Amino acid sequence: MLIKVPSVANLGLESIKVDVEVNLANRGLPGFEIVGLPDKAVDESKERVRAAISSSGIDFPAKKITVNLAPADIPKEGSLYDLPIAIGILSSILQFTVPDKSLFFGELSLDGSLRHTKGALLMALFAKEAGFQDLYVPKDSANEAGAIKGVKVFPVENLFQLTSHFLKRKNIEPLAYQAILEKERTDVGRLYAAEFDMREVLGQEQAKRAMEIAAAGGHNIIMVGSPGSGKTMLARALPGIMPPLNEKESLEVTKIYSAAGSIPPGGSLITCRQFRAPHHTASPVGLIGGGTRPHPGEVSLAHRGVLFLDEFNEFPRQVMEAMRQPLEDGYLTISRSKERVRYPAEFMLVASANPCPCGYLNHPKKNCVCTPRQVRKYQKRISGPILDRIDLHINVQPVDATEFSDNQKNSELLEPSEAIRERVILARKIQEKRFEKDSIQSNAQMKNSHVKKYCKLAKEIEQLLRQASMKFQLSARSYMKMIKVARTIADLEGAPEITVSHMAEALQYRPKIYESI
Amino acid sequence: MGEEIAKDYLKRKGYKIIEQNYKTKYAEIDLVTKKGKELVFVEVRTKKGEDFGTPEETLDKRKLRKLWGNAKAYTAWKKWQGPYRVDAVCVVLRYDNMIERINHYENIV
Repeated sequence: MLIKVPSVANLGLESIKVDVEVNLANRGLPGFEIVGLPDKAVDESKERVRAAISSSGIDFPAKKITVNLAPADIPKEGSLYDLPIAIGILSSILQFTVPDKSLFFGELSLDGSLRHTKGALLMALFAKEAGFQDLYVPKDSANEAGAIKGVKVFPVENLFQLTSHFLKRKNIEPLAYQAILEKERTDVGRLYAAEFDMREVLGQEQAKRAMEIAAAGGHNIIMVGSPGSGKTMLARALPGIMPPLNEKESLEVTKIYSAAGSIPPGGSLITCRQFRAPHHTASPVGLIGGGTRPHPGEVSLAHRGVLFLDEFNEFPRQVMEAMRQPLEDGYLTISRSKERVRYPAEFMLVASANPCPCGYLNHPKKNCVCTPRQVRKYQKRISGPILDRIDLHINVQPVDATEFSDNQKNSELLEPSEAIRERVILARKIQEKRFEKDSIQSNAQMKNSHVKKYCKLAKEIEQLLRQASMKFQLSARSYMKMIKVARTIADLEGAPEITVSHMAEALQYRPKIYESI
Repeated sequence: MGEEIAKDYLKRKGYKIIEQNYKTKYAEIDLVTKKGKELVFVEVRTKKGEDFGTPEETLDKRKLRKLWGNAKAYTAWKKWQGPYRVDAVCVVLRYDNMIERINHYENIV
């Protein structure tokens, strides 16, 4: 008897339909065979299915069982085919019909219960597009699949429960579409979870201002300063001033996390901007993504969020240069012999670095012990092309320890993250409105045509910019970046046009790491 | 014990027994039979009770490959030109040595 159970295969962020065909033959030596390019995890599903069916109190049939995963030429991976295979076998021996227009998905435990399986959101999206109404997913993954409107999600606890459902003994209640987004939005505390409040960072007014501009326009930023000057603290406080994700962005981010299997059991849509801080020993594949079956890397996991690279010049050259394409295009294509996957990587780069190996170059009190050659060698580790792609460059001056203790009392007088965030959100709203008809969201993403359209410069401003670019030898790209930063500064003020003071401030953040030598 | 049961069973099904426990230095074939024009090699598996697994389970890929090799060697040795196949007969006995079930699987490799 041949049974067809529909399921999916996730390739990157795309899904295709996979028919799990289960045949129980009466003739032939009893056995269990899976064909259709299964990987090791799919092949091992034989043992899980066998044990899970026995544990559910049903005798495993002594027949020749052949499972085909069609289309047969696409490699199948993961444990998600456990449930469709088990349902195929059970429907054959218990004589129930597998409902049409439904998808099955989930990993089985040996005791017959279903485990959280990665990719539930991708499947739900596919089901909606392809017109499947019912989804049978593990209970722990149900919230993830249930975030998509227009599909009925059945949370399945174990195999026995699902067979009872199909034998019409006891029904499983479908999960109602939850307005998860709305629910989570009110949960502000979790949403803006940052390690530090901007109020805790003492002094550093210029750096804080630069952070605010970066958050408002989605600009990349690099901080250069001595050890202990607060670079890391500033970066860690950044999530607290970032605007929340909107519905579309939230879905984009959750898709990537779903594909990476990083959504915890019971988890649903990701509503806060992600802050990723990989260590500098990270491998190129870990950072950029890849592998024989390409999986998303840190740059994609930081999509619509922040990628913080502490000790930027300690990162291997190869890793840094590989980030050029995502920085420019906002996505990256990973090509391997078997497949080609495109992952979005629209992140805000926040980098921090020391000015020299000893760290005290240009320090007001301490002496730098590095030779000029050492300094040059150290600074050269960050290549020009990368620096050119960073919009805001700031020097973080060290804070005096004595001043620090005096200021401790004044901490309450400083501006909290919340107040800064409100300004940032307002600036983002202006941008959203501006780019309504374009496919971009923030000032940092503007292409040259957008700059021409939205950032009309008065004559005196253009003159100022031209003079500055001559004096500081700005590249054509930096020239454009200055205009974008000026636009963001104007947006923060709510000003419709860029003025001279906006441009003058933007020019403070010009690329200048090489000027110090 | 099991081989005798299998022999009787196959005889009743119209198989002509040619050899039993055919042995060479390398190979051992439980039963060589003939049904019509086809030479049938039969592997007999016997188990007393199924508490420790079924006889079918003991026929893994490696054993099946070996059976096929033995069959080929036999046909070459005897210069057999006609069709041939490999079957398995699985016998399960009760603890009092009565027959619980006999299953005959045709053409298993």
